Amino acid sequence: MRPYQVGTAAAIALIAAVAMLDSLATFAPSAGTSPGDVGARFYPFWAGAVVFVSAVAIAFRALTTPQSAEGVFAGRASIAAVLKLVIPLVVAAVSMIWLGIYIVTALYMGLFARWIGKYNWAWVAVISITFPLVIYLGFEIGFRASLPKSVFYTSGLPF
Amino acid sequence: MDVFGNLAGGFATALQPVNLVMLLIGVTLGLIIGVLPGLGGTSGVAILLPITVYIAHGSLPGSNETTAIIFLAGIYWGALFGGVITSILFNIPGEPWAVVLLFDGFPLAKRKGRPGLALTSSFVASFIGALTATILLTFFAQPLSQFAQRFGPGELFGVFVLSFATLVGLGAESPWKALCMLAFGLLLATVGFDTITGEQRLTFGQISLVSGIGFVPVTIGLFGIGEILASAEESGIGFVERLSARLGLRDLFETLGALRKRIVLVLTNSVLGFAFGALPGHGATAASFLGYGLARQYSKNKQDFGKGEISGIMGPQSAADAAAVGSLVPMITLGVPGSPTSAVLMAGLFIWGLQPGPLLFERHPEFVWGLIASVYLGHFLTFIICLLTVPLLAMIMRVPYAIITPFIVIISVIGSYSLNNSMLDVFITVIFGLVGYWLRKLKYPLAPLVVALVLGDSAERTFRQGLVTAAGNPLIFAGTPLAAGLLLLGVIFLLLPLIQYIRQRRAAPVTAGVEDPRA
Repeated sequence: MRPYQVGTAAAIALIAAVAMLDSLATFAPSAGTSPGDVGARFYPFWAGAVVFVSAVAIAFRALTTPQSAEGVFAGRASIAAVLKLVIPLVVAAVSMIWLGIYIVTALYMGLFARWIGKYNWAWVAVISITFPLVIYLGFEIGFRASLPKSVFYTSGLPF
Repeated sequence: MDVFGNLAGGFATALQPVNLVMLLIGVTLGLIIGVLPGLGGTSGVAILLPITVYIAHGSLPGSNETTAIIFLAGIYWGALFGGVITSILFNIPGEPWAVVLLFDGFPLAKRKGRPGLALTSSFVASFIGALTATILLTFFAQPLSQFAQRFGPGELFGVFVLSFATLVGLGAESPWKALCMLAFGLLLATVGFDTITGEQRLTFGQISLVSGIGFVPVTIGLFGIGEILASAEESGIGFVERLSARLGLRDLFETLGALRKRIVLVLTNSVLGFAFGALPGHGATAASFLGYGLARQYSKNKQDFGKGEISGIMGPQSAADAAAVGSLVPMITLGVPGSPTSAVLMAGLFIWGLQPGPLLFERHPEFVWGLIASVYLGHFLTFIICLLTVPLLAMIMRVPYAIITPFIVIISVIGSYSLNNSMLDVFITVIFGLVGYWLRKLKYPLAPLVVALVLGDSAERTFRQGLVTAAGNPLIFAGTPLAAGLLLLGVIFLLLPLIQYIRQRRAAPVTAGVEDPRA
């Protein structure tokens, strides 16, 4: 557990350091627009400083106190279970730029039904058609919300 | 107008057909969300928050902001009840506040073969806890908001400091991690335009970051996607036990008999739970453990705890539901959320164009009293639905993982997109989903991050306006006895972990080779 704790704390400290560097203007004499105003950079600088100090303290505690010998994951099976969800999720989010929500929903739901659920192709087709339709009726018709469409939308495809 | 007159007006609002229907839909969705182990009340409310924009802006006939808050709060009430069903029947907590029911709820259902009695005891205690807390809310919220109207920048800043300090000082996890997440939330809240000077901060030249990092996509990611990933990891474990239950009149009468013997415990825990929930930053989960501890402490049958003791169900349940209602108090009266879920509810108010805080009672009485009346109605509806439909609700657990999980992911993505029609928000949701999952694994508390993100802008504005008012003199934040008292209390809460650490070190050295849970 120790390397994960220290590594994560170091990453947080790095983000905080970047924020502090970006906010160094708080120490400029021109900071603030009216008497008494500390300026726009004061808050991000000091919030960053607290993040930095606490991240260093977390790393220090992780290095100096007894930690469990177990890793973060329970085993290969649990890593696989998470990756099975994470990889399609990231691919779906990125491909939504070109494919829109409806095609992505059909593919994503269909993939899970076939891959994880082991449904036959007829059920996969039913799931892939039903869920985008439910979303369309609920959001576009019910709430009159405009959801992202695919690049084929301008060519006459309705989704 | 007196309290009863206002409350009658609130009931007139809450009983309007559109509000009543949305309350019913809200509590039903909440019950389903509560039963599903991969989805919590906070994430459920966060995922459905974007939809309420359409409800608040009149997409449904007669709907407005009051309909939206009634719907969202209904999800919270439903989830409070729904989470216990899986704890008692399947030994799997549907919600974090239902974890404590594994101690006595499941043993009563399994070992003693009384699932109906366990469930009814839980529902009745929840209902009484919520009812007591709602009565307290009805009578105390308005005077508190009238008192808070006199607050200047010093007192308001003191309230913010106290809220943040309780998250660090009273949290169950490492105080360093809580402080880190709190400050990280404040840092994220500063990204984008500075509302006072118009300067861009932490945008690194990216136009897409100028409008800031939205609270909703972050929360949907942290709680919605984060919880789904966590449950995906655990789903391989499978269900330990499966019991079915049909509640009968016998269970109800037996519960009422048990309640008669424990009425002092239930009422005391309800009042304490309400007070605990009203403390900024703490919700039902912490109160449920407090309630269990108190039930055990004052019981004559300590040896029966862990074996199916009814006090071990009624004690935590009454405290948890009372705390959930209590968490509305600081939100309505001070503009400070009492729990992560009420932080999401509060974000809804901002999005609908309302300003939570002391003036809410004055400027939008129909909204506040409609909400208070809906708390009574929501809990009553949930109670009745639970008593009638437990077998049906338990069946939700059998919806295949391969369908429910991707569907929740898709709804989360749509929720984060539809608020601003922004693909950037979708990516923020996915990134924070992964970040939230990882931080959760390393035992970083996420509630301080969420509360700080929603309060960050107001806290900064109050701080800077206070300094400008006092021409840069920081003593304004301790300028009145109340401001000084709030600040002092905040400092004490902040130092509480240090005091506890010193006392522990004096009492006994840390055992070598054993991991310190607060490290």
